[in-house]
Amino acid sequence: MLDEGIDNYAASERFTDAEKVALRYSELMAVNPDAVDAAFIDELRRHYSDDEIVELGAFIGFNLGYHTFFGTLKFYPLFSPDGRLVSQAESEKIYGAAPASLGKAEAAE
Amino acid sequence: MTHIAPLPREAILDPELNALMAEAAALGVPDDLFPRIVARAPEQAVPLMRALLMSHAHGSVDHKLKEVIRILLARFANDKYFASLRSAKARAMGLTEQRIDDGCGSYEDDAKGFSAAEKCALRYADLMFLDAGQIDKAFYDEMKRYWSEAQIMELGAFIAFHYGMQMFMRSLGAKAAP
Repeated sequence: MLDEGIDNYAASERFTDAEKVALRYSELMAVNPDAVDAAFIDELRRHYSDDEIVELGAFIGFNLGYHTFFGTLKFYPLFSPDGRLVSQAESEKIYGAAPASLGKAEAAE
Repeated sequence: MTHIAPLPREAILDPELNALMAEAAALGVPDDLFPRIVARAPEQAVPLMRALLMSHAHGSVDHKLKEVIRILLARFANDKYFASLRSAKARAMGLTEQRIDDGCGSYEDDAKGFSAAEKCALRYADLMFLDAGQIDKAFYDEMKRYWSEAQIMELGAFIAFHYGMQMFMRSLGAKAAP
């Protein structure tokens, strides 16, 4: 479901309309912020309160900034998907160049 | 007017948030629009405000340089709200609008008088959301010629957080302060 939410949420039947518009908010803020206009906020309001939109927006902004920063540092999770403490070299193989969700990493093992 | 209305000033009763808002009012960044909006998410409001202030006005990296970086990022994010705000502390330390414009545009020009350390920090901010792939081990090694690892983390976290909040405020249609 994580992969589907990243790669295919718009066409997926596993996400509600509310979830899809929240995912679109996160995507647009990063790649096409001009599309986040009054009409888009009105669409968000069909599913979320103004307070929830603020909560979502601040969360997305925070993650947008920090994931880019962390990406430049090239550090990786301390634990493998099965809970083993792993070296950064091994972690990079699991989570690195082609970012893999936990599901994909588990499937590859 | 933002797409989401800020809470009325008098509706913010949390003493910690009020104290942070008073600190921000003295600094000038942010003005009360940002906290009145994030106050709609009460669990986030205090940590967001604290992080915004701490990362900008505290730490060991020159506040004037961080103010230039903050405005460079806001202009890049096309966030008219944060781009319009100015730190009174940085102004009192001698930061001018000309210096800000130079730092946002032509900082690599030796005639503009930025030190090698300042140029490197400005390049770090410039590249972070323009071409993060260029911020590689070699780039960090260059940073380490001028900045301690603690200062690099201070700069990186500051850049990441402020850019994120600028994109958030842009998404709400926040405009320049009058």
